[in-house]
Amino acid sequence: MPDKQLNPARVPDALRLFSLLFFAGALVFALVATLVGDVFFLRLATEALIFGGLALSVDLLLGRVGLLPLGQALFFGLGAYVSALVLKEWQASFWLSLVVSLLASALAGLVGGIIAIRSKGVYFALISFGLAQVVSKVVFNTRELGASDGIIGVPGAVVVPGLDSTAPTGFFLVTLAVIFLIYLGLRYLMDTPFGRQLSAIRTNEDRVPFLGFDPWRYKLLAFVGAACIAGVSGALYPMLRGFVSPELMFFQVSGNAVINVIVGGAGTLIGPLYGSALLTGLRSVVGSFTAHHQIIIGLLFVVVVIMFPRGLIGYLTPLLQRRLEARRSRHQQGEQ
Amino acid sequence: MTEALEWLQFVLAPQMINGLSIGVAVVLMALGLTIIFGLLDVINMAHGEFYAIGAYLAVALLGLGLSFWWALALTPMLMAVLGYATERGLIQRVFHSKDRHTLTLLLTFGLAIVLEDVLKIIFGANPLRVETPITGGSELFGLFFPNYRLFVMVAGGLLIAAVWVLVFRTSLGAIVRAAAFDRHMSASLGVPVSRVYAATFAFGVALAGLAGVLLAPIYSVFPTMGRDFVLIAFSVVIIGGMGSIKGAVLAGLLLTQVQSISSLFISPVWNDPLLFGIMVLVLMWRPRGLFGKLGHA
Amino acid sequence: MESILSVQGLGVRFGSLQAVDDVTFEAQRGKITAIIGPNGAGKSSLFNLISGAIKPSSGQVLFDGHNVTGASPDKMLRSGLSRSFQITNLFFELPVQENLRLAAQFLEQGRGLFRPLSASTRAHERVEQLVEQFGLQSKRHELAGYLSHGEQRRLEIAVSLAARPRMLLLDEPTQGMSHADTRETEALIRGLAAEHGLSILLVEHDVDLVMNLSDHVVVMHQGQKLAEGAPKQVRGNASVQAAYFGEHH
Repeated sequence: MPDKQLNPARVPDALRLFSLLFFAGALVFALVATLVGDVFFLRLATEALIFGGLALSVDLLLGRVGLLPLGQALFFGLGAYVSALVLKEWQASFWLSLVVSLLASALAGLVGGIIAIRSKGVYFALISFGLAQVVSKVVFNTRELGASDGIIGVPGAVVVPGLDSTAPTGFFLVTLAVIFLIYLGLRYLMDTPFGRQLSAIRTNEDRVPFLGFDPWRYKLLAFVGAACIAGVSGALYPMLRGFVSPELMFFQVSGNAVINVIVGGAGTLIGPLYGSALLTGLRSVVGSFTAHHQIIIGLLFVVVVIMFPRGLIGYLTPLLQRRLEARRSRHQQGEQ
Repeated sequence: MTEALEWLQFVLAPQMINGLSIGVAVVLMALGLTIIFGLLDVINMAHGEFYAIGAYLAVALLGLGLSFWWALALTPMLMAVLGYATERGLIQRVFHSKDRHTLTLLLTFGLAIVLEDVLKIIFGANPLRVETPITGGSELFGLFFPNYRLFVMVAGGLLIAAVWVLVFRTSLGAIVRAAAFDRHMSASLGVPVSRVYAATFAFGVALAGLAGVLLAPIYSVFPTMGRDFVLIAFSVVIIGGMGSIKGAVLAGLLLTQVQSISSLFISPVWNDPLLFGIMVLVLMWRPRGLFGKLGHA
Repeated sequence: MESILSVQGLGVRFGSLQAVDDVTFEAQRGKITAIIGPNGAGKSSLFNLISGAIKPSSGQVLFDGHNVTGASPDKMLRSGLSRSFQITNLFFELPVQENLRLAAQFLEQGRGLFRPLSASTRAHERVEQLVEQFGLQSKRHELAGYLSHGEQRRLEIAVSLAARPRMLLLDEPTQGMSHADTRETEALIRGLAAEHGLSILLVEHDVDLVMNLSDHVVVMHQGQKLAEGAPKQVRGNASVQAAYFGEHH
């Protein structure tokens, strides 16, 4: 849950450090993995980043606006399918695929938002859930989209001549860049009047109209934005894996995204990325031992909700912040 | 004319009877959900899993050699214990937080994930069958009723009536309603509020488990049955109005009828979309549902 | 003297209860008008009708020529009518400065929505003015939830003023305040009207405050307008006295 102490007036240095750590760490990882000649972990990490994008989309709604989306996989899967179709049937271009997926997600987000945004709390969660259920069932039963098998044989997407999505390191870096840009965009947004309105809506929606603003418009925009982020992230999936299936829209994906956000730290933006990285890794590790990795993740999640609802980054940030400020004041005293 | 009558008798009526027998179970489940919400202000996303656990418990008890009737009697009691423990052990821990609504939603959501996998571990992923305890059928009013479905309708109907009486006509029900309405006042009047809450949750869970047992011979029993059912249960509660017993009963019966009858005309793929579409329309037109009270979300 | 707010035949029914019954009065521009009355007189309901919180069953409200009957709060504000809340309704999890900035953002009229905060210069100037005016300098970075009750009530009024409304509806502004805080608030309200030409309509329980402060008083009793006039007139009115002292307080 968003931490009151994270003063919205300025991003704590601790949070900036964690962000730096994440992206720098990712670069170091890429370097090491390339030198070692690994492919598996690079692809796994790319997948973690892709789902990290979905987690960012959930955090925008949950951590900032205060809406719990239980069906965000709808837009993720939509982006994935659109991307697969573009790459396979039109042109294997990275840029084209992203643009078309973005447009499709924006449109879907608008429609979904108009349906869902009038509701709050559990009603919103259930409408979001229901939308995903419905659309995923329809896709599952649509032969033209490959029905339950989905679409396979998606070619690698060309980013620039000489670099396409089949290159493990190259595509990892491209994905990292995309996620980084999304992250930066969201960070920037939080310190604009628009972003602050979202926080106000989360804090006390009833007062907002009395300040002269219609919360509905802001929530809708945020919803569309989140849909776009989810869609763009989803668009990267077939580029990585070469296929898409209806499972990408299933509740499991939506649920995992929410778990990634809560465990990482809702409202912190970087927390969900950490959460996605950690839990994707965990799922893979545990999954190699047993098919029942969900129960472990589920238990971890329940423990986090009960004991650490602010999540990993949500808890570590104030701690680190205090340390940093103590050190800074000691420094200043030392200079005097 | 006779064609229409025959259609009514041999096509429509069986569907409606089917719908009614399922509807009764859906109502039981929705009652559990709406009571838990109405009285505890808790949104139990694991409700579907409790329904599944009820069905699996029946399978297990049958496997131990007990008859279906024993399973029917014992399962709700076991479910009540499970529900009580869940409320005291887990839900209480986030109950007093400011973010209670979101946290209980997340908590029960996590619980649902865990429970579903637990069922998969214990019973395997394959669907299991439960033998229909009453075979054959009877003819009443010129219509054919499979005997088991007839039983479900009657037994379920009696149970629903019993729940209504319990909540609105007994002092126990009054205590629970008082505790829900004003916990501090009730506590100072000597009502053991935390125990009342836990018992209420247990009751709701027992109802879900009971629905699971009743429907087990009709549908097969498989680990994701809870998740599939939860959408219809929540839709019923939302359309009926969260916290409204009358709403749960009416919406439950109506919606299952709509589903049954529409399956004559459209493919089952569209079942969920139809239900969902109805829910969205109701929410847009009347956000608190048919009989619900504003202020709950 | 011109009228800025015109309430005409306003009424609302809750089931069988006529909470407000055919109330008509005018509030003058730049003046302080108060609504008083014993408990259950319908003051709060009347206030909520005027401010758009509940929709009337009959009558209308005209503000500065616009018909604002039952209008949504954001539309009201855009017409120039703002309100404060009896039960402090701030953004408790946010700092004082942020509360004010959110309210002042209205002055930007939607410009710079996606630009950095620093680009909203009008809003920031307004925040500085308000911090100064309401003596909140030392508290600007405190979370609103940690302020004392009196400070919160002041912030509440500041927030409702941020958008530079032409008229302010104050809902029991001294609710729960200490004597000292009440005197301060009284001075504050008087200052607002005098220096800035702000029209004020307030609902209050504190009859002394109202008598000291207002230019015009409307007395409610059992949902109807019992009397209206200058404070002295109303105080001397026999039926008003009966309404107040005929009941047990």
